[in-house]
Amino acid sequence: MATKEVVTRVWIEEGCIVCDACEAACPEVFQVTEDSCIIRPAAMAAEFNKPLTGSIRDAAEECPVDVIKFETMMAEVSDEAPTAADPPAEPASAKVPAAVPAKPKPAAAAKKADKPAAKSAAAALTDDETDPAIAALLRAAATRGGNAGILRSGDIDSDEWRRTAAAQLPPDARQAKLVEAAKKASKDPDAGRRTVAGGAALAVGWVAFGTGLGVSIGPAFGRFMMPNVLEEPDPRIRIGPKKRYLEMAVGEVNEDYKPQGIWMIRLDDRIAALNIICTHLGCIPNWLPNDKKYKCPCHGSGYTFDGINFEGPTPRPLERFKILEEGGIVVVDKSKKYQHELGQWDQKDSFLPV
Amino acid sequence: MVNYLAATSALDDVKHVINVLCEPHWFLIISVVALAVFLLKYRTVTKPAVAGTIGALCTLAFLVSCLDSNFVKIVTKADNVPIVMMMVLVGFLLWLAFRQAALNDERMERGEPLREAGADDKVLVWPDLVYIELIALVLCTAALVVWAIVLPAPLEQPADPNVAPNPAKAPWYFLGLQEMLVYFDPWLAGVVLPGLIIVGLIAIPYIDKNPRGNGYYTFKERPFAISTFLFGFVILWVVLIIFGTFLRGPNWNFFGPYEFWDPHRPAALLNTEFHDLFWQGLLDRRLPEHFLIRELPGIVLVVGYFVVCPVLLKATFFRRMYLQMGFIRYNVMAFLLLMMMLMPIKMALRWMFNLHYVVGITEWFLNV
Repeated sequence: MATKEVVTRVWIEEGCIVCDACEAACPEVFQVTEDSCIIRPAAMAAEFNKPLTGSIRDAAEECPVDVIKFETMMAEVSDEAPTAADPPAEPASAKVPAAVPAKPKPAAAAKKADKPAAKSAAAALTDDETDPAIAALLRAAATRGGNAGILRSGDIDSDEWRRTAAAQLPPDARQAKLVEAAKKASKDPDAGRRTVAGGAALAVGWVAFGTGLGVSIGPAFGRFMMPNVLEEPDPRIRIGPKKRYLEMAVGEVNEDYKPQGIWMIRLDDRIAALNIICTHLGCIPNWLPNDKKYKCPCHGSGYTFDGINFEGPTPRPLERFKILEEGGIVVVDKSKKYQHELGQWDQKDSFLPV
Repeated sequence: MVNYLAATSALDDVKHVINVLCEPHWFLIISVVALAVFLLKYRTVTKPAVAGTIGALCTLAFLVSCLDSNFVKIVTKADNVPIVMMMVLVGFLLWLAFRQAALNDERMERGEPLREAGADDKVLVWPDLVYIELIALVLCTAALVVWAIVLPAPLEQPADPNVAPNPAKAPWYFLGLQEMLVYFDPWLAGVVLPGLIIVGLIAIPYIDKNPRGNGYYTFKERPFAISTFLFGFVILWVVLIIFGTFLRGPNWNFFGPYEFWDPHRPAALLNTEFHDLFWQGLLDRRLPEHFLIRELPGIVLVVGYFVVCPVLLKATFFRRMYLQMGFIRYNVMAFLLLMMMLMPIKMALRWMFNLHYVVGITEWFLNV
């Protein structure tokens, strides 16, 4: 005779997430229903739980939110028949219901048909001459993945379960509530305030540290990101005599300076210089004279000849460049842009009056 | 001669029908329905005979399509050949996974051990793995050499910042993102949504703690998770790549697979704004002066979508899931799901109403 620690009582505290893990590990004791997990009525008895010690421990360990609790005691177990008295020593047999003799289980009849298959599976797995660790993993996978041992909520006769629950509500549910109430009552009322104050002080400290760091290093870092020398072509482009653009018909687009990034357009009262870059994501649209629109080849944005966006994803009209006249020659200054959505298209220098 | 002409015109009719079915709204609807049928009937569809027949029919349709010069031009473009291969591969791998899931699910119902149960897939590094790697290396190199010779990479003119090719396409794996940019403002489609895709994929193990399906194929145990993932991957990624590769032509217009890519084909796509529809169409009033009041209905709609939908779903379809997941995880999941569904919703609105933005605060660069 040897003395072993065995489980006498098992219960579930509040916070179950209905994940089915416990039922997979120990279907004899746990039953996962539509929105909660309960201890089967049979498992209220210590004598029923003792031989299941191993799989109850497994279930408690596998529970992702650790709400399965149990009590243990030392009990004498006979040496002569260790497998009969202490099935948990062999996990595979513990997980297969067939190995638990004369167990008062509601769905036992339904499971009878599965027993031979389950037995042979367990036998085939244990007979395998592989690494014992791998064999254990495989056994676990087979059991978890749908071996006969798993009792699913759909298998349970709902009426039978309801009757049982109504007659004798599982003590674990009642006890969990009592424990919760006791915990609430014993809570120190000042504990929350203290942690909030500490957290606030910590937050203030970190914000002050971050601000100090940003103020001292930020400007230096910003300067470092700027190039020391910036070589850019002259943004002022001379695009020929004004007369050339006055001769254009209203609604016409001059593409001569597209390589320099400019479309010259003629409206009824003015000449303007459009930036050819699409305001959506910076592609170069094409001027389609037949459709009288600019159409971007990247995402399909479309603009009317004067640069107003009217189709596709682009959020705003094309930009216009600063334009001025110097001695009869039109000069476009690409360093200054005028945006329609900001109401800048009527500002001085955004166009040349006709 | 007469028969030949009749046959040709019949083929033209078929081509015309396919061109129409490849218009984006039909194509998307057909893809979603096909995916739904596949998921609902996965045990029948994945049977080797059925799947083989479908595969054979697709191959036949592809070969017959190759009689059309426009189709051949798109499919055999050096950039597009790998995408054709990828589509075949996606179909094959889908079948492979679901075939194993179907077999496992049947075994579970009969109470038999899973297919993975008896397998010992331990492999010795030396010599097994190293040999496999060596052979894979040699075969890959050989394939790439042959590929490079048979399908040389196209060499184009020097890049010019003032000229964009028409159509200008991203690399194939980014065509889904490029398609997103057609429907959303750049900051949303180019920054927020791709960021959320990555963050959402990283978050999956924290959102979904269900241990079912770990280490074995199954569909019956994880229908919601697998269906949602496949909707995001197959419909919102692979189908968008197909759009971008085969159906988007010059000026980024949609073209059917047998249509000539005519850059001058007219396309009427005049945008409508939601604030116009609401204030002028519905209330028959002038637009309010201040942009926040102007955009209020759109803002209410968008905020309402993200606030009301999770509550509604919690009370109906996701009741049990909410119990399992808890408040925070459920809401993160619902937010990611709703963000994903923004894409098909906005696509449908664009195709049906040419809707530009629901919220269009161009003043602040805030457009949705």
